[in-house]
Amino acid sequence: MNELVEIVGLTKSYDARNVAVNNITLTLPKGKIIGLLGPNGSGKTTLIKMMNGLLTPDQGSIKIKGQYVGVDTKAHVAYLPDRTYLSGGQKISQILDYFSDFYADFSKEKALEMLHSLNIDPSVKLKTLSKGNKEKVQLILVMSRQADLYILDEPIAGVDPAARDYILRTIINNYNPDATVIISTHLIGDIEQVLDEVIFMRYGHLVLYTSVDNIREQHGKSVDAYFREVFAC
Amino acid sequence: MLGKLIKHEWKGTYKTGCLFLIALLSVTFLSWLAFQSPMWRSLAEENAYESGLFSLLDIASAFTLFFYAIMLAVVSVGIMVYLAVHFYKTMYTDEGYLTHTLPVSTNQLMVSKILISGIWVMIVMIAVFLSLFALINFLVGAATPEGYSLIEIWSMFFDEFGDVLVKLLREELGINPVVYLVFFILNILVSPFASMAIIFGAISMGQLFTKHRVLMAIVSYFGLIIINGILASVTEGIISAVHINVDSAEMFGRYMNINLSASSILSIVMAVAMYLVSYLVNTKKLNME
Repeated sequence: MNELVEIVGLTKSYDARNVAVNNITLTLPKGKIIGLLGPNGSGKTTLIKMMNGLLTPDQGSIKIKGQYVGVDTKAHVAYLPDRTYLSGGQKISQILDYFSDFYADFSKEKALEMLHSLNIDPSVKLKTLSKGNKEKVQLILVMSRQADLYILDEPIAGVDPAARDYILRTIINNYNPDATVIISTHLIGDIEQVLDEVIFMRYGHLVLYTSVDNIREQHGKSVDAYFREVFAC
Repeated sequence: MLGKLIKHEWKGTYKTGCLFLIALLSVTFLSWLAFQSPMWRSLAEENAYESGLFSLLDIASAFTLFFYAIMLAVVSVGIMVYLAVHFYKTMYTDEGYLTHTLPVSTNQLMVSKILISGIWVMIVMIAVFLSLFALINFLVGAATPEGYSLIEIWSMFFDEFGDVLVKLLREELGINPVVYLVFFILNILVSPFASMAIIFGAISMGQLFTKHRVLMAIVSYFGLIIINGILASVTEGIISAVHINVDSAEMFGRYMNINLSASSILSIVMAVAMYLVSYLVNTKKLNME
């Protein structure tokens, strides 16, 4: 049993003309870093939200570790959304306590260590931090968990290149090797070197799911170059 | 997990909740100050205000008491509005992304939120009653002649009117004061939780719409209030029809008895229904924007 995520016939539409995710069937293994790639509006975030129980599918199902999305799967999935989901009025130390209380796999020591390395004082309120530092704090919270599945929605969008390097380093250095990391982005060039596999999505459809090595061997191109070819306007 | 949710819900609301209590305490103190003006002091004296003139202090006193009345309404409604906004924010805005990815069940989430919100509404409700009780005492205190204490005045009042009051309730209106008091207290205990469950249900109903979710939540809430009003009117109509031959005083008494129990039961039924609505929206129809 190497399957971690099993998606069958998954469909979600926001209205009659807008099918965000269209009949996707996909099985993802353990121990991989997978890029979820596609242009804006291709359905990446919708798919991620359904995997986290934030959206209800119209049809189809998602199983994580053999269980349908619910209380049990949420204990095993570490999710970084594409927005700030923390209350700005809280101190970082309070947020750490919150994560410690609810996630059995959260390591407060690890989080404090990472905050220290960034010179972020845990006693300050989140709203006093810069946008980039807020994103880093959220990433630290997520990566301080020993989860089976990490789902990171646009973790490097909107931050400077130095911060991107830090974020990618944090992901690589902190994820559990038996776990799978799904990184959604359209900035492929920046993350290509860390990916094992890629999923291409367009207009809610699954276009391609393959390994990075396969793309390089079969097409003789980088993922970034191949993506540009597939999604050429 | 429920205990942890309750703990964090309390932590997330106690600061603003305490602000409401401080505001109430402040205006209650102001109302005490207002009763120190010559106009009120003169109630205890004979031949006061023969000139019929009011001082500036008296006008300030009247304005302060008006402000007190407004603040009482603001605090009573404000705490519920604050808790409704807090619920909406933590459940259905960006913060909801964290709330809904916690490894907790929808029942645990809803129970923790209704419990803490209900407790806050109850605390503020009791504080409002205490403030009003204090206000009456300030007034009685202002009118108390020299040489008498407040306690003496109250015991004199009950000695004089207590029996008459009980007789009036029991014999003329047919109200059993003890039963009425028990229902009244039960209502105070239950209604804060029921009110919050109904408000949260209306907010959750708003999530069933693709656009203007806040507006639709407000529309849903007022829709529920109207339905509640219609059901209450129907109950009143039935009571009137049943007691058509009873004299008006007794009918009023019976109406008071039944109305209190009927309104309690009605709000409990609606609260349970709206709890189910919230539960279904969060388990079957959750669509975070």
